[in-house]
Amino acid sequence: MAKTVETVIRELSGPTPGQIMRSKVFGHRGLMIGGLVLLFVILVAIFAPLLAPHDPYHQNLMIRMRPPVWYDKGTWEHVLGTDHLGRDYLSRLIYGSRISLAIGLIAALISGLIGTAMGIAAGYFGGKVDMVVTFLINVRLAMPVVLVALAVVALFGGSLQIVIMVLGLLLWDRFAVVMRSATLQLRSMEYVTAARAIGCSTRRIIFSEIMPNILNNLIVIVTLEMAHAILLEAILSFLGLGVQPPTPSWGLMVSEGKQMLLFEPWMITIPGVALFVLVLAINLMGDGLRDVTAPENRN
Amino acid sequence: MKKLLAGASIIALTMVAAGSAWAGKADDTLKIAFNKELESVDSFYNSAREGVIMQHNVWDGLLYRDPYNGEYKGNLATEWEWIDDVTLELVLREGVTFHNGEEFDADDVVYTVNWVVDEKNGVKTQRNVNWMKSAEKIDKYKVRIHLKAPFPAAIEYLAGPVSIYPNEYYAKVGPSGMGVEPVGTGPYKVVKVEPGKRFVLEKFDNYHKDSPKGQPTIGNLDIRTIPDFNTQAAELFGGGLDWIWEVPADQAEKMTAMDRFTVANESTMRIGYLDMDAAGLTGTENNPMMDVRVRQAIYHAIDRQAIVDALLKGKSRIVNSACFPSQFGCTEDVTSYDYDPEKAKALLAEAGYPDGFETDFYAYRERDYAEAMMNYLNAVGIKTNLRFLQYSALREQRMKSGTPISFQTWGSYSINDASAFTSEFFKFGSLDLARDEEVRDWLDVADSSVDPETRKEFYAKALKKIADQAYWVPLFSYNSNYIFTKDLEYKPAMDDIPRFFQMSWK
Amino acid sequence: MLVFTLKKLGLALLVALAVSMLSFALLYLSGDPAAAIAGETASDSDIEAIRIFYGFDRPLLVQYGEWLFNAVRGDFGQSYYFQLPVGQLIADRLSVTMILGVCGITFALLTAVPLGVAAAVRPNSLIDRVALFISVMGQAMPSFWFGLVLIVIFSIQFQILPPSGSESWRHFVMPTIVLGYYAMPGIMRLTRAGMLDVLSADYIRTARAKGASEMRVMFKHALRNAIIPVVSLAAVQMGFMLGGSIVVESIFALHGAGYLAWESIGRNDLPTVQALILIFSLFYIVFTFLSDLLNAWLDPRMRVG
Repeated sequence: MAKTVETVIRELSGPTPGQIMRSKVFGHRGLMIGGLVLLFVILVAIFAPLLAPHDPYHQNLMIRMRPPVWYDKGTWEHVLGTDHLGRDYLSRLIYGSRISLAIGLIAALISGLIGTAMGIAAGYFGGKVDMVVTFLINVRLAMPVVLVALAVVALFGGSLQIVIMVLGLLLWDRFAVVMRSATLQLRSMEYVTAARAIGCSTRRIIFSEIMPNILNNLIVIVTLEMAHAILLEAILSFLGLGVQPPTPSWGLMVSEGKQMLLFEPWMITIPGVALFVLVLAINLMGDGLRDVTAPENRN
Repeated sequence: MKKLLAGASIIALTMVAAGSAWAGKADDTLKIAFNKELESVDSFYNSAREGVIMQHNVWDGLLYRDPYNGEYKGNLATEWEWIDDVTLELVLREGVTFHNGEEFDADDVVYTVNWVVDEKNGVKTQRNVNWMKSAEKIDKYKVRIHLKAPFPAAIEYLAGPVSIYPNEYYAKVGPSGMGVEPVGTGPYKVVKVEPGKRFVLEKFDNYHKDSPKGQPTIGNLDIRTIPDFNTQAAELFGGGLDWIWEVPADQAEKMTAMDRFTVANESTMRIGYLDMDAAGLTGTENNPMMDVRVRQAIYHAIDRQAIVDALLKGKSRIVNSACFPSQFGCTEDVTSYDYDPEKAKALLAEAGYPDGFETDFYAYRERDYAEAMMNYLNAVGIKTNLRFLQYSALREQRMKSGTPISFQTWGSYSINDASAFTSEFFKFGSLDLARDEEVRDWLDVADSSVDPETRKEFYAKALKKIADQAYWVPLFSYNSNYIFTKDLEYKPAMDDIPRFFQMSWK
Repeated sequence: MLVFTLKKLGLALLVALAVSMLSFALLYLSGDPAAAIAGETASDSDIEAIRIFYGFDRPLLVQYGEWLFNAVRGDFGQSYYFQLPVGQLIADRLSVTMILGVCGITFALLTAVPLGVAAAVRPNSLIDRVALFISVMGQAMPSFWFGLVLIVIFSIQFQILPPSGSESWRHFVMPTIVLGYYAMPGIMRLTRAGMLDVLSADYIRTARAKGASEMRVMFKHALRNAIIPVVSLAAVQMGFMLGGSIVVESIFALHGAGYLAWESIGRNDLPTVQALILIFSLFYIVFTFLSDLLNAWLDPRMRVG
């Protein structure tokens, strides 16, 4: 396929697709802010042992609920104060970033695997497979998530693994819905029909023709579901049925601080703000990614 | 948001409301919060503290135990006498009426007793009633209660959970009717029940004048279920509540500092303890809990006093024996083990665990206490994983396959007798993880003897061996905080049962 | 249209059946309900008696069949905890949750739709940014946190709203805001996106060209078309909200069905939990079914699916 003179000229003079994308990404304020905050949290999580001033599990019943440094009774020894067992709040907050990220990431991964597989299968094969998947999506949507998650955690006992599993097994619906319709659109595209016509295997078509083209959608949903999972874990922990102590989870910290809301509001404020900022960042990033990767900008 | 909240709270705390808008004294209504939904007001068909409260205020028993000095007095019965080991004769009070106008006499006693002892009727807490065989009417105001076997704690139960129901009404409506429209002889009558949500009570004007409970003075009680402490406190600040209870220690301390309300603290009969798998129910192969030195090491590893001082506070204190100190037969003259982590490590090494070991730590309430104890165990090398379950799930686990170590509590149903505690757990029941035959045999003697000295002697023997073998780590007694408006005159009792008929406005 | 309705109805019933089967299996496989019913003070023989009395010793499938047979006739059995039929217990609580749900969705619609329209009319304006800010906040704000903040401000500081209970309309103000705010971002975004699409459509240009007033264009032509997907989202959100009101009800001590569900889980009151899961999912199913019908009626092209 010889290039026409015009296209060559256009390519030489205009920005490359990569350049366009880069300028879109860096020009999107929400995406940048969200991305930077998320990057910061990830770095904190990775370097937690270096950053934390104290052992997050070390208890000292003599110095319970010391307020953060900006209060009159605060000390620089415990910058964000200590919790109800005298553990350093800052260190627990730092280590807690690992838990929240792990919950968000792994739950989104599990649900992503389930949902994507179901969605692609439904979209690609259509017919009976589609009917079954659509039915399963409907069943899943009809189940009250919080209630079912609470029941399962209550019955099996809460632990990090169980909370992640439950959330992963419950949050696949959006993946399935979006992947199904995206695949449905792609299936009738020319290059897919062409690939089928020349006798490519189903597996090859799905992995090399369909997957790369729905990746954009997938990433956007992964971010949304991460945020969803982190918030749900916080709700489960708030209701007393989330991860178990002494794990330094932000949701658990909110739940433990809840009792002192009226007297030591910082105990719930600090992890609450951390949660809020993390979820906000992930959402901003998700929204930004959707804007940037959409065929045309929304406005 | 953060600043706003912090600012708002500070304002809330420094706020000096001079007499709230809806204060209870003005309209003679005490507004009360329950923390949990009560399943049924019928006292034989619930097992909750809230149920016990309702029972004491709405019904009367044949006898009454003064909560402040422990003395037994007649209530619906005026005299009682043991005919033999298994027969109790009671003379009933005349001139008592039920809330619905029904007259109280022997028929009510006979009907109630015979109803509750019938297993088919499924009274929820069988132990409260299953020591009785039947009741028999001698004449209109005299009855005999026949026991299945000698039962020294009978008087205690008749003064506690066994309340007397009106026979005609109960025969007609049954437990479900009694649950929504309760009728008793007690100082308060129920005027409205919204199951689980709200109970409205009103002073019973015809309450029998010679009752050892005294006469109620507050006109109306409005009880609402509000599960969250913060919401309760918010209501209290705004005057929507006058009285709350079971307030956690830290919050009570803060409320005391505010000096807007009366904060009363009283010890309760509940004891916390660690239960260890001495009999090897989880498996006998390489089970560290079967070694007495390991159990003693665990005892030495935990700073019980620090936990009491920092977390429970109030009138709680550490206990050393597998019973509540005031219970008949309970002795604290047993081996105890100080907080000594070095000694704990030495004992572990001696038992063949110089580097400690890893184990599951089970609990069902007060996650923070459990967490604190786990931290102490971690410090001597015993790595613990918390398994926090619902009570029923934990119970099932313990019954089926045992648990290596679990944080348990027991309130003895407020029964002031060691048979309701020690005997409950060391007589090879499904929750007996020690399975010590000698202890069981001693307890059998103590439980069934009618001679107080023999009982004391054998309880002491059993308790000493339990301590020597460190089957349990007895931890501490609980306490309860009550917070109420300064308009209210009230002194909590040790059995943690609020008696609204003993409260009054100042 | 009739075929379409019947097909959707059949599907809805199947979904309900599947949900009830799943939740039944989940709840009853997990442990011995007898120990839970007996409570803390029961002896072993009490528990054994209860197991036989309630029939927990029978195969699970038999128990499910019996439950389903009774449930279809409106009998959800007896609550293990309250000495009451589950149906009676739930009917009492459901009204509170329904009021809350209706208020919440109304609040969400009344705030989200105008904001969404305004944002679409002036994209990238201040109002668009404010709307975006509100929706982003709403998505990231944990509802329990928001509820507690409102209590501190309106009940403690200003003392203008009661923090708990369900006796008067004033008790519903804060719960409505918290629950409504949860549903708002989605509705607002969809309204905005829908309006943007519609406003650039040919028929709007035509209407404008024909000299129709701006108000007329907005409401007669644009909003009417943009609102179709919003209606179905609102229906779906309503279903979610009823199931998600657990947190709100527990904070504001509203004794609704959500709070009952949470408490019943803690008490292992399986018949109540089971019935509530079914009822919440039925709500969702009914609302989506209705919105399907509504959409099909508004837009005949959708009747094919």
